[in-house]
Amino acid sequence: MSLESLDPRVNRLNIPDQFEDEVQKKELDQLTTFEVFLVPKEGKALESVGIVHADDSEMAFVFAKEAFSRRFTCVGMAVCPTHKIWASEVTEGEESAFDFIESLDEQNEGEEDQCEIFLMDKRGKQHKHATSVLAYSYIDAAKKAKEELGNPLTKNIWVIRTRDFTFNEEEDSDLWATLPEKTYRDAQAYRAADKIKKFKESQTK
Amino acid sequence: MRRLIVRQIKSKNSKNLKQSKMQKEEILKDLMYKIADDQLIIGHRNSEWTGVGPLLEEDIAFSSMAQDKVGQSWAIYKLLEDLGETEPDINAFTRNAEQFHNSQLVELPNQDYDFSLMRHVLFDYAESIRFEMLALSSYEPLAQLAQKIKGEIKYHVMHGRSFVRKLGTSTEEAIIRLQKALDYSLPYALGVFEPSKYEDEMKQAFIFEGEKILEERWKEQIETILKGTELKLPNWNDIEPIYGGRYGIHTDHLQPLLDEMTEVFNVDPTAEW
Repeated sequence: MSLESLDPRVNRLNIPDQFEDEVQKKELDQLTTFEVFLVPKEGKALESVGIVHADDSEMAFVFAKEAFSRRFTCVGMAVCPTHKIWASEVTEGEESAFDFIESLDEQNEGEEDQCEIFLMDKRGKQHKHATSVLAYSYIDAAKKAKEELGNPLTKNIWVIRTRDFTFNEEEDSDLWATLPEKTYRDAQAYRAADKIKKFKESQTK
Repeated sequence: MRRLIVRQIKSKNSKNLKQSKMQKEEILKDLMYKIADDQLIIGHRNSEWTGVGPLLEEDIAFSSMAQDKVGQSWAIYKLLEDLGETEPDINAFTRNAEQFHNSQLVELPNQDYDFSLMRHVLFDYAESIRFEMLALSSYEPLAQLAQKIKGEIKYHVMHGRSFVRKLGTSTEEAIIRLQKALDYSLPYALGVFEPSKYEDEMKQAFIFEGEKILEERWKEQIETILKGTELKLPNWNDIEPIYGGRYGIHTDHLQPLLDEMTEVFNVDPTAEW
């Protein structure tokens, strides 16, 4: 017997309504994650928007483009493997994440690398790009950012080496050219509440 | 006497002008119907994957692109409306299969994802080159539209190319399945370039350089992308194109698709959703 659905597409798939053998998924049988960042408008900072699962940066970018910039506006995008992000402690209230980095050891050897600093100003908010620094290590970068930014109150710090990002090519910013017109992807554009109200009014008359 | 001749010439000229205007409109309609119908039908087919795609991220991406294609078809039906055809919704939802000018490639059922993906790649490369050519069209509204949707199509091609490169160099199963999908799709894909009645006229009026040039460029690009994979391209000359779609000859799959697509419209043609 096939699974029966109101959706004709599902019926066409001829999915058995019961599987003989339970398929056991292997543990961690999934693709790795990439953090997605976008620039919502010209002149705005790059901000974290979420993650996608992908096999490499190229596929991550392809997936991220529709998963995170299919609505509203966007002028640029970047992805980086989640495991390439150094994250500080997360703090509460008046405590700043910068308070916790002084005690951390750093090894200032080798060459300096350009790093991007992202800060989360409030719990639950997105990490936003704050500055770029040249540093020997993640901790060195966080300390330099603290000084440069004047020790702001922040709940979490991310440090990411610039070379671990995959950005869109400049000439590809037209990928989002028609986005502002796609209001049909935003629930608000349907003004459902207004329509329901109007319908109810027409029923009571 | 002289005046009479002048008058005769004038009236002849205006008659020619009128005729050529009518002919130009016919050519444009022929061209735009096949493009719009292709976009609508492949958009609908690809939207059938919504909710049942192979990965959550891919489900979203494929659905978004399907929506883009339906949107692009709407924009072209709108240009057709400007030439005196009926409004986009009525045009899209009230014709029968034999009144559609889409290629047969786009109406084929989805089957497995390997086929849907391969069709998407083969079709979108053709579409991207077609719109690149149309961006130079003497018919300004079409040229402007082609320019406007360049970024959308660029993403569609980027998506397909990334997938085929990735899967086409991965496991044996992926390569075998994609190869099968490629072999099956190619005759239909060549059907996209079925010559129209107006190839010469279109070229002379600088509306569109024609299917032949499009086909040649498409073949070059398909060769390039497949070179980076384990997939093998058969000799082009050994593939018999499947024509007919542009002249209303379709497989048995198109009418059921249209019936499903127009279900809501048929219940309530004024419905908004």
